[in-house]
Amino acid sequence: MSLLRKISHRLTCLLLTAFVMSSFSLQNSPSREYRVKAAFLFNFTQFIEWPASSFAGPQSPAVIGILGKDPFGPYLEATIAGETIDKHPLIIKHFNSIDEIDNCHALFINMKNQDELEEIIEKLKGKNILTVSDANGFAKFGGMIRMYIKNDKISFQINLEAARAEKLSISSKLLKLAEIVKSDKKQ
Amino acid sequence: MSTQSKKSSIQNKLMRVIMLVSGIVVLMTCAAFFLYEYYSFRESTLQKTKTLGEIISTNSTAALAFENKEETEEILSALKAEPHITEAGIYDINGKLFCSYPSGYNPTKLPLKPGLNGYNFGNSSLEGFQPIIEGNKQLGTLFLKSDLKAMYKRFELYTVIVLLVLNFAFLLAFFLSRFLQKGISTPILALAETAKAISERKDYSVRATKLSDDELGSLTDAFNQMLIQIQGQTRTLNQFNQELENKVNERTMELGAAYKELESFSYSVSHDLRAPLRALNGYSKIILEDYGSELNDDVRKLLGNIQFNSQKMGTLIDDLLSFSKLGKKEITKKEIDIKEMVTKVVEETGSNYRAKIKIDSLPKVMGDYSLLYQVWINLTSNALKYSAKKNNPEITIGSTSSESETVFFIKDNGAGFDMKYYNKLFGVFQRLHDTKDFEGTGIGLAIVNRIIAKHRGRVWAEGKPEEGSTFYFALPDSDVKNK
Repeated sequence: MSLLRKISHRLTCLLLTAFVMSSFSLQNSPSREYRVKAAFLFNFTQFIEWPASSFAGPQSPAVIGILGKDPFGPYLEATIAGETIDKHPLIIKHFNSIDEIDNCHALFINMKNQDELEEIIEKLKGKNILTVSDANGFAKFGGMIRMYIKNDKISFQINLEAARAEKLSISSKLLKLAEIVKSDKKQ
Repeated sequence: MSTQSKKSSIQNKLMRVIMLVSGIVVLMTCAAFFLYEYYSFRESTLQKTKTLGEIISTNSTAALAFENKEETEEILSALKAEPHITEAGIYDINGKLFCSYPSGYNPTKLPLKPGLNGYNFGNSSLEGFQPIIEGNKQLGTLFLKSDLKAMYKRFELYTVIVLLVLNFAFLLAFFLSRFLQKGISTPILALAETAKAISERKDYSVRATKLSDDELGSLTDAFNQMLIQIQGQTRTLNQFNQELENKVNERTMELGAAYKELESFSYSVSHDLRAPLRALNGYSKIILEDYGSELNDDVRKLLGNIQFNSQKMGTLIDDLLSFSKLGKKEITKKEIDIKEMVTKVVEETGSNYRAKIKIDSLPKVMGDYSLLYQVWINLTSNALKYSAKKNNPEITIGSTSSESETVFFIKDNGAGFDMKYYNKLFGVFQRLHDTKDFEGTGIGLAIVNRIIAKHRGRVWAEGKPEEGSTFYFALPDSDVKNK
């Protein structure tokens, strides 16, 4: 009887977990995943300091750029509405190619191809742009922040060296939440 | 009051004052200290909690922004270092509880929603909300609850310390005041001792010892100065007294001499007056006897008048003589049965009168027999004489006695007298009635007065015209026997 009960209990738990997973799981609902990622993207800007020279004036806008296809839908727009980075109003710009990028502070790169990404990273050097992506190994080959799903939650890796090289200072509070990674040595 | 109790009383008073004052001072100091501690502890608890909240909320911004519960919990778990923080919670921007402390703490015990920012003191705790802000954007709210057990614990310790200090202060005050009050009480007690010695022995030559140069010292000086004055005044007074006594003695002697002189003078005058009177009387008698038949009636009547008046003058002189003799006479006291004496007197004088005489019981007294006999003769004959004209003459003789004297009285229902002439009653040759109505020289009561005065007694009378009179004399008790 006790055994039967145990089994039924476990079964219930399993079923319940499956149900919760199916309704709330990040993988199963891309829109929810990108809603959180949009919030994360905005939050990153709140814990990072750009050099003053990267802004045209004290109240000139701070630009969040999206390179490639915009995965956020309306969420990013909603998240940053009315928000600022140190009195710089936040705006969103969409870029189709790397050459269009002129005035930008944080750039979400929606690309998966490693070679392509490496090329972009190389091209962005010296522009004090925070690079964010959810591509595999992004941080390891020179990207600054990579978002990924771990235990059904969004986590992120930070390549501190890459950020420092672009004179971006990342708050230790943010670092505490991140997995710190280093660039793989180039052959 | 004994010296010991007086001594202890002033010492006790001084000690009580000192201990009361020091006790109050210590108590007030402790109370102020308590109050200060109470407020500063509250203030410091508030500051500490605020600072802690500041740190926690600053540290938790990123974790909250990225909804990292593990990290938030870890940040909150740092509160373990502050045991007085009993509960904490972080709410997200929507007011939903995100994380609670201690971990595993039943979150339903925390406020459901964040309240107004700021901290409030509750009964035994301090609790409040603090916004979690990154840059200028609020990310959530922090709740902190700090219990004040530490404060109460501290106050328990303070109470113990205060009690100890109080006890110690009292003990110290007791011993110090025992020692210090001597500076005040010793000179006072010395002064009191001196004053007591003086009032007991009346010895004004004693001086108080000066023990200090303060107000008590000057009090001692003033006291001694007063003693010197009293001593001087007493000496002067004694001197005056002595002088006065001497003067009185001197005057008394002079007076005695003058009185004696006067007495012998009046005696010799009375005596010498008798001889020519006797001659006057004798010769007029011879003329009447030898030549009476040859004289006409007028002359005989005139001669008779001469004889009558000279005889009357002789009686006056005799009375005067016997009165003045009284002054010289020394009284010799022996026991006298007054009842027996009065009975004898009544027998002797009452035979010619029809008055009803009633004699009450009368005591025995000490006195001069012949003089008191004379008193009774005079009083009884007066009573008989002045009541003789009444229809039912009645005389009562009796006595009463008081604490210090025995009073005799003789009461009649005779002619009486007017009280307005009372002061003439006991004078020599004073008469309140006409000789035509009642014979006599008017010396009887004066003699009575003098005899009783010689016995150190007193004489008085009451009377009303036509209703009668009562004569009293009192003899002092030492002269009365067998009451």
